[in-house]
This record gives sequence, C-alpha cells and structure tokens, in this order.
Amino acid sequence: MFVPIKLERKNGRLIYVRDDVRKILPECEIVVNPVEPINLPKNVTKYLEIDFPPILIKPNAVETIYLKFPIEIGVFAKHDDKIAVVDVFTFDKPKYTLYGNPKNGVVCRWFWSEVYYEIPEVDPLREGVLKLVVRNGGDWVEVGKVVLDCHAMKIYYSEFASCWAEMKILSRISAETTFIDKPIVEGMKKAIELYTTRRLIGRAFTMEWGLK
Amino acid sequence: MSVSVEGLLIFAFAVALGVIVAKIIGIYIRRTLAEKIPKNELNLILKIVNVTIIAVFVLFALPFVGVNPSGLIAAGGFAGLVVGFASRSVVANLVSGIFLMAERPVRIGDQIMVGDVAGFVEDIQILSTIIRTYDGLFVRIPNEKMFTSNIVNLVANPVRRFEYVIGISYKDDAERAIEIIRRVIDEHPFALKNPEPQIFVDELGESSVNIVVRVWSPSSVWYDAKTEILWKIKVELEKAGIEIPFPQRVVWLRRGKDELGKDVSA
Repeated sequence: MFVPIKLERKNGRLIYVRDDVRKILPECEIVVNPVEPINLPKNVTKYLEIDFPPILIKPNAVETIYLKFPIEIGVFAKHDDKIAVVDVFTFDKPKYTLYGNPKNGVVCRWFWSEVYYEIPEVDPLREGVLKLVVRNGGDWVEVGKVVLDCHAMKIYYSEFASCWAEMKILSRISAETTFIDKPIVEGMKKAIELYTTRRLIGRAFTMEWGLK
Repeated sequence: MSVSVEGLLIFAFAVALGVIVAKIIGIYIRRTLAEKIPKNELNLILKIVNVTIIAVFVLFALPFVGVNPSGLIAAGGFAGLVVGFASRSVVANLVSGIFLMAERPVRIGDQIMVGDVAGFVEDIQILSTIIRTYDGLFVRIPNEKMFTSNIVNLVANPVRRFEYVIGISYKDDAERAIEIIRRVIDEHPFALKNPEPQIFVDELGESSVNIVVRVWSPSSVWYDAKTEILWKIKVELEKAGIEIPFPQRVVWLRRGKDELGKDVSA
C-alpha cells in the first residue's frame, strides 16, 4: 500500500508533507509507528471497544484469544530522546459507539474482529493483533466484547502492531480490563505512545454494562 | 479610656492567632477544593474565610484595648439593616452562586441553554455566570437567575440524539431511500453504532413520503455530525435519482357538464 508521506530536505530543514498537512522540521530523527486508535477524525474518547463473535468460557478457566484491533499511524520528531508529534493519520475508516447507557456510558472507538486462536494475518497499515487473556474465576460466562482504556495501551511492533491485554471476569455482566506491558512475540519494538501512562496499575477499566 | 500594655499584648496575640488560624484553615480549604472548583472561585472563598476568621478574633480581643464590641454591634446593626436592604440581590446571587458550585449542574466549557440564552459556559463566578453565545456575544447571567431557571446542559451526557424528517416523492422507492440513508449513516464515524440509528417511514404527507432519521452521536461533536450527515443524505439521494419534493398540491381541471346539465370548462 502507498504511504502518502513525503519528506524533503531544504535549506537545512525537513519539509514533511502528507495530503494537505505540511510542516517544516529541524534536522532530527523521524520515527513512524503505530499509535493508539482514538485520535481520528477527532479525539472524543480514550476507550476502544472490540466486538467479536461471543465465546463461551468454562468456570474457573483461562482462555487466550487473538483479536484484530485498529491502528493509527503516528509520525514523530525525535531529538535527544525528546519527542514531538508531527502527524497522525489512518488508513482505516473509524467508527464510534456507546458502551453502556446514554447517561453513564462511555463513547468508544468501535471495531469488529473475528476470534483467532493463533496470531492472525493482518493488514499491517490498518490493523494490529491483540492478545486477550480472559480469566474466569466464576460460573460459565459468554463474552462478545472487550472495552479497553487506550491511555494505558502498550503497542509493540515489528512487521505488524500488537498489544496484550487481560480481562478478568467479575460476574456474568462485568469484567476488568488492563493492558500488559509486554510484546506478544519476542523481539518486537515498543512504539512511541501518544498517551503515556507509566503506572498500568490502577488504569484498569471496569466493564459494568455487559460482556456481549 | 486607659489601655494597659498587657491588654495591648493580648490584643496583638489574638490578632496574630487569628491570622495563623486563618492561614491553617486556608491551606486546608485550598487542598480540599483545589481540583474541585476553578481557581478564581477558590481565591474568593479563601479571601472570605480569611477575613471572617480574623474579624472574629479581633472582635473577641477588642475589650482588651478598651473597646466594647456591643457598642459597635448596636451601631453596626442599623447600618447593617440599610446595607442589607441595599445588597439583597447581591446576597441572593452570592448564595445562589454557592449552591450552584455545590450542585454543579454546569461546568466551565459546557454548552448550555438558560432561558433564551444558549452557548458555552466561559466562567462560573461567585455572583454571576458568564456565557459566550454561539455568535460570540458575552452574556452575564446573575447566579440567582441561573439558580431559579431551567438549565439545559447540552453536553452533560456523553451522547445525544438528533433527528431529521426527510420527505421523498411518492413515485420514488422509500425502501431504497432508507437503504441509501443507512449507508450514509454507517459511513459517518460519529454516527454511533450503538444506540442504533433508526430510519423509518413515519408519515404519508401532503407532498411527500416522510422518512424519520434518528442518530446518536458523541455530545461534543453532535452538531458537526448532524450538519454533515444531513448534507450527505441530500447529495446521495439526489445521486440515486430520488427526489426531495417541494410542497405541492394537485389540482384537477374538469371539462364537461355539471349535475344540472350546464357546460363546465374550468
């Protein structure tokens, strides 16, 4: 796929051009990597909801599944370990939804994925792979969606983007989701984040309006 | 009136104690409310608390320097009555402001409607609330009016719904029009997937078949979504050859004879 970025060197400066975005940058390192999918066309939320065909999970079981998730692409200027955001764009068509009710619910970036039991092939400019570990400490439960707080998202990438999350089932209609700060495959590189949360503890999201 | 050195010392000590107590309570209030109310309101509250505490200590210490506070109170009573009448609305606004800050029906940045004023809340002050209307006007609403009016907060909930009525011509296929409208809505990022949009024929009108379209959108972008989707629906319906008719009336002209056998030609 054609990536519509042009970078020219002129008068000792870098000219960054993408569609109608044009920026003049000083000589610096340019980094392009996948970022949290909550910025386009406008940032209205920090949550991502992925819907998938419902899976039934046995009592006191741990199920590991792979889902696809949408990505956006971030362009950063880097100098002396200091980072500035140059541009964010996507090849995907974003869609938003409401998780919960109109009074107390949360707006989420929405995405549909099939369920996979091994790392699926993805279109690397549009999607990444989410490894989701579902821990069920109670009775039978049916799960057909996961809602994640993208401010705590930890993306790693190589040929494709990936992240790792856990879903702890609290009841038939509620669960707690958190990101794990580890690559799903050894050797993946950590992506520069738009929203940096050093402390993942306490950044859990409680899904209290249903799991399917 | 004689003032002893001891009395002066006690007075000075009481005032100093008042300042220290006011300072400590001020720090406590600042810590508690720092992230809950805007900085300008916090400063005003701190000033009021500071002055009140020091005034109480001064009042109690006055007898030690030979001043009888009861005389001041008696003199101040009449003056207080006059000032009280004059500042009735100020006090009403102040009290309303405190209740508004406690109840928090609106926050700075919210889009609200109060009476015939609609716009963004720019500031909530102790006596008044400042609104910037959509056409950029500065409107100051006294807090008493805010408190006793119906306030509509347009962004209090995360999402809100908007609705269109789209009339299509009787000769066109309503099912196809609904399909086109649904596609336009599905393609718009901020037309929410859930709650699902509703599109249905609502009325067989005088000039058109009326299709109702209801769409939910994030409150922060609902107006943009509403205007963009409406225009796209119009463009797509036109592209598909579906007519959005003007109001019209069909008039039948008859030629021949009427019931009495007379010629009719109009």
